[in-house]
Amino acid sequence: MASNPMQQFTVYKIGPEIKIAGIDLSFTNASLFMVISASIIILFLFLGSKEKKIIPSKIQLIAEMSYTFVAKMISDTAGSKAKPYFPFIFSLFMFVLFCNMVGMLPYSFTVTSHIIVTLIMALFIFVAVTIIGFIKHGFKYLGIFVPSGVPAILLPLITIIEIISYLSRPVSLSVRLFANMMAGHTMLKVFGGFVVSLGILGGWLPLSFSVALTGLEILVAFLQAYVFAILTCIYLNDALNLHH
Amino acid sequence: MKRIKIILTLVLINFNTNLFTAEAGMPQLDPTYWISQAFWLILVFSILYISISKLYLPKIKNNLETRENKIKEDLESANKFKDQSESKIKEYEAIIENAKKEVSKIHFESKQILVKDIKSKKDTMEKEIEKEIIKAQKEIIELKKNSVSSIQKISENIASNIIENVSGDKLNESSIKAVVEDVSKKNVGKYL
Repeated sequence: MASNPMQQFTVYKIGPEIKIAGIDLSFTNASLFMVISASIIILFLFLGSKEKKIIPSKIQLIAEMSYTFVAKMISDTAGSKAKPYFPFIFSLFMFVLFCNMVGMLPYSFTVTSHIIVTLIMALFIFVAVTIIGFIKHGFKYLGIFVPSGVPAILLPLITIIEIISYLSRPVSLSVRLFANMMAGHTMLKVFGGFVVSLGILGGWLPLSFSVALTGLEILVAFLQAYVFAILTCIYLNDALNLHH
Repeated sequence: MKRIKIILTLVLINFNTNLFTAEAGMPQLDPTYWISQAFWLILVFSILYISISKLYLPKIKNNLETRENKIKEDLESANKFKDQSESKIKEYEAIIENAKKEVSKIHFESKQILVKDIKSKKDTMEKEIEKEIIKAQKEIIELKKNSVSSIQKISENIASNIIENVSGDKLNESSIKAVVEDVSKKNVGKYL
């Protein structure tokens, strides 16, 4: 009985071993589900933008709604200057959302429940935002660490805190998503295990919990994708509109 | 009751062994496939990003813009039509106003013409009537004159006849005439 709640996160190789310069780049189940999520997104967007109807079909409407949803999110948090980064944030949001949602299917694998995946995305965002900040504002971007209107005595302390909070952004961003997804799936698995071990007599209670938790997890899956995207927008806003 | 208790304890034991004999560890922290995951993530996400930014987002944006433009155009043309209909209504009202004015003008003119016509006709009629009256009066006067002389003659005749019959003698015509004339002069004023 596969009742280890962490077993679902195991990464294993699919197909032949791919080694380039001594580094193992084998295709794994994680890679498979990344490809599946990306394929679903591309299929969805393909179907959503295939027909150019004035009165949209259902799938076209959903695609257009997701477009306007992300566009509104960006313009609300980062302003009009963030327009060139819209495709990236849209892709990021869709990728995280679909990885989370595909992970909700039974027997599937949740790509975003792996710290390495979320950390790479968060680090990329962090590095990119920092570079954008320095390109746009030069060394004035360092002013982000010195908030205005702070008493001179507190300034060194505040600056240190600001630097630490800035540097911890990738960690908080990645751990938030990873921990949420892992905790949710672990919990579902534990309750699923309860259903099996308590059997037909006592299994109903954990089963109902399981059902409720599934609903909650779908909400969390959407919410975490949204949070991931909106935090990216906020970081981008800090880099684009320097007014601390 | 006892049976249920036994089953429950068995189940719990089973569940406990399962839970606690399980190997506790996070596969996420096993670095074996980290580089592989990173590689595939970057690859897949790059492909996704490129296809989304180059292919699908412009399409969707285009769609949304065409819809917006279409709506704008429709609204504009609707406004245009509205303006047109309003100007048409104004034109129509102006035409009706003009027509009303014309009607009243025509009405007034024809009334005046009629009045004039009636007046002139009345005038000519009155003149004619007056003429007729004058003519009639003249005739009456003539008739009167004629009647007086004829009455004198008749009365002379009657008087001579009566005298002849009564006396058997013929009287002098001139004397009779003189008498009748005298009497008629006295009495004619009474009747004429």
